[in-house]
Amino acid sequence: MYDILIKNGLVIDGAGTKAVLSDVGIKDGKILAIGENLKDGGQQVLDAAGLVVSPGFIDPHTHFDVQLLWDGAAKPALEHGVTSIIPGNCSLSLAPLKAEDRKTLIGMFQQIEELPPAAFTDAFEWTWETFSDYRAAIEGDLSVNVAPLVGHSVIRLWVMGADAQQRAARPDEIEAMQDLLRDCLNAGAVGLSTSFVDVDENARPVPSRFAQFQELDALCAVLGEFGRMLQIVPEFYDTDITIARIDQLAELSLKHKIPTTLSPVFDNRQSPNNVPRTLARIEEQTARGARVWPQMQTRPIDISFSLLRPSLFFARLPSWVKILRLPVTERISALRDPATADKLVADVGEDGGERLMGRLIVRGGGEAPEHLVGRTLGDIAAERGEVPARALITLSLENDLEIAFLAANGGHDSTDRIGPMLANPLVHIGASDGGAHLTSFSTYGDTGYLFSEFVRKSGALTLEHAVQKITSEPAEIWGLKDRGMLKTGYAADVVIFDPSTIDRGIERPVFDMPGGGMRYVRDSIGVDTVLVNGQIAWAKGAYTNAQTGQICALA
Amino acid sequence: MTLSQQRRFTTPEPDETLEALAARACPDLDLELAIERIRGWNLHIFLMRRPRGLLLGGDVVFIEPPLV
Amino acid sequence: MSEAVVLAADIAAGHDGDAELVVTVRYENGVVGVVSLDADCAFDIMQSCGAASSADLVGRSWHEVLKGV
Repeated sequence: MYDILIKNGLVIDGAGTKAVLSDVGIKDGKILAIGENLKDGGQQVLDAAGLVVSPGFIDPHTHFDVQLLWDGAAKPALEHGVTSIIPGNCSLSLAPLKAEDRKTLIGMFQQIEELPPAAFTDAFEWTWETFSDYRAAIEGDLSVNVAPLVGHSVIRLWVMGADAQQRAARPDEIEAMQDLLRDCLNAGAVGLSTSFVDVDENARPVPSRFAQFQELDALCAVLGEFGRMLQIVPEFYDTDITIARIDQLAELSLKHKIPTTLSPVFDNRQSPNNVPRTLARIEEQTARGARVWPQMQTRPIDISFSLLRPSLFFARLPSWVKILRLPVTERISALRDPATADKLVADVGEDGGERLMGRLIVRGGGEAPEHLVGRTLGDIAAERGEVPARALITLSLENDLEIAFLAANGGHDSTDRIGPMLANPLVHIGASDGGAHLTSFSTYGDTGYLFSEFVRKSGALTLEHAVQKITSEPAEIWGLKDRGMLKTGYAADVVIFDPSTIDRGIERPVFDMPGGGMRYVRDSIGVDTVLVNGQIAWAKGAYTNAQTGQICALA
Repeated sequence: MTLSQQRRFTTPEPDETLEALAARACPDLDLELAIERIRGWNLHIFLMRRPRGLLLGGDVVFIEPPLV
Repeated sequence: MSEAVVLAADIAAGHDGDAELVVTVRYENGVVGVVSLDADCAFDIMQSCGAASSADLVGRSWHEVLKGV
């Protein structure tokens, strides 16, 4: 008898093969059988009629390192069907970390993840310094599977202390970093992450950016001993730089026989050749035998701003630029001056800003009055008898400038262009940034969006292909052993979802971070049940008490 | 497979200054012009998200303008 | 070689949800390339070269735009 028998589902195995009506039998956390009309029965039977049964989704770019210490489900990732996550990206992990370096690392994490200070003081005990002790700190309470990267910046910090953010490493220090990385890989790290972009809370580059290429090469030699991944964040401002980074990764991949990945890669109408040129270079390097995987997110990028900080949203409007660059108190005084406000309104054009500002959405989570949240500025302006530009000024003043507006789909938003990119066999779907940018935008639900936008709406991917792109492909790229497919003997990470409705919900603020800290999330839509290692972790809209997540075994 | 030609770049040596890098990368140019060119080709280093003028070991520094 | 010139300056969405300025430059060898600038950087450039708006950057020499930063 199976522990769980999933009956009558449309089984998509994750390998790209066509969906078939079948049953799935699960025992002891593994898939025991897949076939029509399995006879042995189950202690628990799930009727999946009309639903898809697929492998659990894998999210290869997250920052859940801290959240996992109080939330082993990495909520709300799990309810979207994500059963395995890779934290520790962008050169930052929580280990290895000496006690005296905690404050330094917290600053970096706060800058990148936007976690509230209480997340580091109230939510957990610092019980570790080594990578294996951090692993032990999270391992018992996991509801999702975790394949943690170790961050180059923390490795530097451990070996060099404050000098890690000052200078190149000496040969003896590089050797010490190699030994430390080797310890981390022996303790289960899936690879090394580094960054060429990130800064700390004081706008100082993170330690990894001070490393010479020779240092990275030496660390990749250690990755080569294990065949593990190098992840980088390239400068995403310029295609030529991305191509230079691809060439560096290809050199490291070929020399040390390691997989590498860069994230994120974006499409933008302002630089339409970016992704085509990037993929052309990837194709050339792949043909040479290099393994370089560009990660692309599914979701569009929204622009968010308030009048508290000068935003380039107004860069085309000289009078707005002038006022918004004033110090805050002077800015507020200027905005309160009727003549100045009249000029600002006049300068947006005869439509009063309807075209530029009318579709802006008032965001929740800040000081915005609840009855305005989620509504368009055009709608609010009409109700107030104002034009949108005037409403933007008055609403901002009424709320001490602490009211945020969102311009949806500001970039990476052309479904017709992005669909074929996501379907490209050279593209690794990922770059969600789950667990980061908490107070800026939601990083959850990209998998639901993949199905709603690129399977159902545009047809750029078949259902089977979309499942493959977020299950077996990432498992293979990252070397996650016995995951990513519905196959006998594989881990029973399973998502049961409705292919006609699976989606991401609207973005909404919640205050569930330690100390009541705010973050934006999206609920899942159309996900019925999520199993992790054979136990139901989420079903019918609620989390269970299952804590069957594991640190992923590696191939 | 032969790789297509891409824009040439270098990476800074330890403690290398902009002046030294410009002289190394553009030996045929007058130093002032070499510095101006290096700055103009590498805004990601000379303007963005870091203390101004700080060269980092991990930087990609282009030594020519974009290619045709 | 002729002088590098700004051809366009467009607003785009950055990775972190902030607006960025995508500046299109025709370089001294005639090739057109784009560079993305974050808010601090773009406003600094505009101020240092006396551009009142992003549109005011268009047509300026790249050398002139960068000289004050």
